Amino acid sequence: MTGIRRIAITAGSGFVPGLELVAAAVTRAATRQGWQVVALGDGFDPLLDPGTRAGAPVPLVPGPMPPAGILSTGARIDPFHVRQLDAEGMVSESDRSDALLAALAAQGIDAVVAVVGGSAVTGLHALTVVWKLARKGLPVVAIPKSVEADIAGVAWPFGHDSALAETTRLLSGIGRAARDAGRLAVVEVPGAEAGWLALQAGLAAGADAILIPELPADLSRLDSGAALVVVAGGARLTGLPAATDDPMRASLSPLSDPARPAGAQVFDRAGATARALAGALQRQTPREVVPVSLAALVRGGEVSAQDRQLAAIYGVAAVEALVAGEVAALLSLDPPAVCALPMPSALTGPRTVPPDGALVRTARGLGIRLGD
Amino acid sequence: MQTRRAPDGSPLGMVLNIQHFCTNDGPGIRTTVFLKFCSLRCKWCSNPESINPRPELAYKAADCIGTKDCGLCLPLCPEQALSASAADGKVRVNYDLCTDCGACTAACPSKALSMFGHEMTVAEVLDEVEQDAGFYTESGGGLTLSGGECLLQPDFSAALLEGAHRRGITTAIETAGNVPWEFMAKVLPHVDTVLHDHKLTDPARHKAWCGADNRRILDNFRRAYEAFPDIRFIARTPVIPGVNDDEDHIRAVLAFIRPWPNVVDYELLPYFRYGEAKYDYLGRVYELRDFDPPDAATMAGLRALIDEAFGRAPADRGA
Repeated sequence: MTGIRRIAITAGSGFVPGLELVAAAVTRAATRQGWQVVALGDGFDPLLDPGTRAGAPVPLVPGPMPPAGILSTGARIDPFHVRQLDAEGMVSESDRSDALLAALAAQGIDAVVAVVGGSAVTGLHALTVVWKLARKGLPVVAIPKSVEADIAGVAWPFGHDSALAETTRLLSGIGRAARDAGRLAVVEVPGAEAGWLALQAGLAAGADAILIPELPADLSRLDSGAALVVVAGGARLTGLPAATDDPMRASLSPLSDPARPAGAQVFDRAGATARALAGALQRQTPREVVPVSLAALVRGGEVSAQDRQLAAIYGVAAVEALVAGEVAALLSLDPPAVCALPMPSALTGPRTVPPDGALVRTARGLGIRLGD
Repeated sequence: MQTRRAPDGSPLGMVLNIQHFCTNDGPGIRTTVFLKFCSLRCKWCSNPESINPRPELAYKAADCIGTKDCGLCLPLCPEQALSASAADGKVRVNYDLCTDCGACTAACPSKALSMFGHEMTVAEVLDEVEQDAGFYTESGGGLTLSGGECLLQPDFSAALLEGAHRRGITTAIETAGNVPWEFMAKVLPHVDTVLHDHKLTDPARHKAWCGADNRRILDNFRRAYEAFPDIRFIARTPVIPGVNDDEDHIRAVLAFIRPWPNVVDYELLPYFRYGEAKYDYLGRVYELRDFDPPDAATMAGLRALIDEAFGRAPADRGA
């Protein structure tokens, strides 16, 4: 007997197509338990600041598909560090997690299903937030959501397959056009810490070279005769010009340190890796080198058949986990089972591409340059 | 922030850093003391480590020896916020779990893990500042208090600046002015030069980009100009493309400052991404990643407006 009567489903920041399918599956499974379900758009923001965009929780019922956008992903407020203006007009941050828990209780919400995970911008922040709320007594089951497939212990996050399909489609078109025009396209795809998306889509699209964070790349080893180079945003590149410094830096920003890891540069801006790499490659070839950044475009495709299945699998498994008494679980499909992992197991680092794994060996076997 | 005091009753300050040989923080060669704590949240902030009033954990991955050869910090974290990175073997910090307790820093042999901010007495700071006294004499420099917002530690700042004057060191402060007037009134009697920010003109845009509107800021500056006619005030604007690099803003600032003869100059500081790496050290998101510095033509055009308002040829402009 769980004592649950009403649950909320919410999503962390980072859009992926098909989140309404997850909400529908959770609703159908929860209703069979006699539970009510409400959708919280934009994470917990509306409960911490009623003036935010998403508005009040929306009751969900089985039957009609919830509208796309019911689990909007514009969450911006960290309940443990809520920014506010005091009476003196001074900005400060305060821990309002207790107020959030009270607001959830006031709504009659006994447990939360959170669709969260890796984010290109905030990393594992959302997962950490729900773990900290779970530590304070809120039962939470997390459904993994990640375009980059970089959540530790989760090989099948919701959203990755749709992004992979869209990335492959885009890369194929760019590669064909570059080959036809005799150009070299350098295409950056999301992958701040893990190169799954770049490697998988690059393989599928027939890339000539693929650069990922797990394999530091030496530009001198790249083939300037290539047509399509796929690079993850967090790829570590050597052989680029060093960052410059100037004397004003010390005055205005005393602890700024332009030094980067020895021999490598890490770029933080979407598209900056592609631009830097394209600039360096342009010096090696008379052909036109074109940098392209896919960035959020990879999130814009259709929901894949696999993600539709994952929405159902994780939605039902989330309800089953709550029925089983799980209070701080991260779901992970490990065929044929869905595992309930302890949340902290995923908070210590990303899931990265094994340098000696099948994907890397496949790429090498095909003669694809990896830059190492 | 409640002022903490040393056993002798003198105020203690939360100091971020003491930077020597600075040339952009007032006249001459200066020693700049950066204090922690700020009441604004400017999205372009180049000193994010100065915002929080408490000491914070900083992690420089480039300096980490790696968990294979070291890893001394890993078992020390009570929150399990530290782990080994599978990618490069270095330590990884989950800042959402970290409570800035600092337990890990003592064990780090390479200082990759360290704390931003430590408490100092007035005498400790002045003793270090005074080591540069020879440069002040030659260049017309002195001590500058910066931050963060140095006026948010009014007892410490006032005592420090008063002590500097007693030692024959001239003083300057850098302030954004978003503090209660009482704080400003307590510190300014001990200041020779005030470098003060006019970031945005419109209150709503000021709030959107800096976290609070500028009504009290402008009121404070107006009162300061009037109450302290002997202080040299130098207005400043950090120029951010698309945010405040328009002539309307510069003209509005000029209209505000020009009636006051003790506002002797207006400087433009072109935005650079100086602080970006530190956002990584602190595990924070730098929201201006896609902003580039203003171009030279824009800066020249805006500076020409200032030169015209101050009635000088461009060549007469100071540094």
